[in-house]
Amino acid sequence: MRFHIYQIAISIISAIMIFKGIENYVKGRNGQTFLKVLVRVVVWGGMVLIAIFPTFTNNVAEIIGMEGNINAIILVGFIFVFLMMFKLLSAIERLEQQITTVTRNESLSEIKKEK
Amino acid sequence: MPTKKKIFIIIPAFNEALVIQDVIREVQTAGYKNIIVVDDGSTDNTHAKARDLLKECALRHKINRGKGGATKTGIEAAKLLGADIIVTIDGDGQHDPNDIKKLTDPIFKKEYDVVLGTRLMNPKGMPWYKIIANYFGNFCTWYLFGLWVTDSQSGMRAYSSHAAGVINTKADRYEYDSEVIREIYIYKLKFIEVPIAVRYTAYSMSKINKQGLVNGIKTLYKMIWGLIS
Repeated sequence: MRFHIYQIAISIISAIMIFKGIENYVKGRNGQTFLKVLVRVVVWGGMVLIAIFPTFTNNVAEIIGMEGNINAIILVGFIFVFLMMFKLLSAIERLEQQITTVTRNESLSEIKKEK
Repeated sequence: MPTKKKIFIIIPAFNEALVIQDVIREVQTAGYKNIIVVDDGSTDNTHAKARDLLKECALRHKINRGKGGATKTGIEAAKLLGADIIVTIDGDGQHDPNDIKKLTDPIFKKEYDVVLGTRLMNPKGMPWYKIIANYFGNFCTWYLFGLWVTDSQSGMRAYSSHAAGVINTKADRYEYDSEVIREIYIYKLKFIEVPIAVRYTAYSMSKINKQGLVNGIKTLYKMIWGLIS
């Protein structure tokens, strides 16, 4: 099997990203959960899989029921991006509310002291 | 004659240094002494001007959180100070303090929990595009939150202490006004609408942060987002 440069490059980058995720999780670094490692393995592992076995996307399209592997990849990618955006917007909303609560408590502190 | 001593007037303000003292004095002249101004992170000296007249009742958000956030801070302050009735008015002088009595009387008579001031029962002086925008806002509020009111975006409202205790809004910006309508519906609060005068001055119409088309679209987005998230 002959490998092209892009396949080698993607494999190396993906390997580094997966390794870093696992390393952070094993060392117990802040914010690293098993779910995050799993997502990292799926995303970067998926990229390696598609880079080395391009015909794999035909199998994915068949499973989903779509005609054409490109359509399947685009659909899966779109859904994934949409979910990420939803999660991000929810997190931002939560942070905004926390900021407001802190700002409010700070401004009410004088009144609360007098009480 | 109902006493006025437990009525608190909340004035959220953002960059209103030019008019805030006039607004406060007008409210005081109308006979209301318990006034709380919440400066919402203004970049001018709104807070200093308010503090000159009100001392410790001039509150300040260190960073801008939005009209809804500032209004809620004022309401929380009024609750801490033992308010029986809480009235909110805008800080740009659009509302006539002489209308406050129209809002508080129904609550004093223990007939209603919330009184909503409405511009559309008396739209004299209101620009036509604002009337149309208001109807659209009313429709969206009714569709999303289940309650039809004639002025869902009015900032002049009165709440009994019971209503102020149960209404729990999360919205910080202009969607706050609609969220209050939702809370009225959810908690089955007794409410009434009363006509209020509105004064559109060159000053108030020039404010960038008013509820215009762009802010209106943002408000609608936030209302929908609040339902699905």
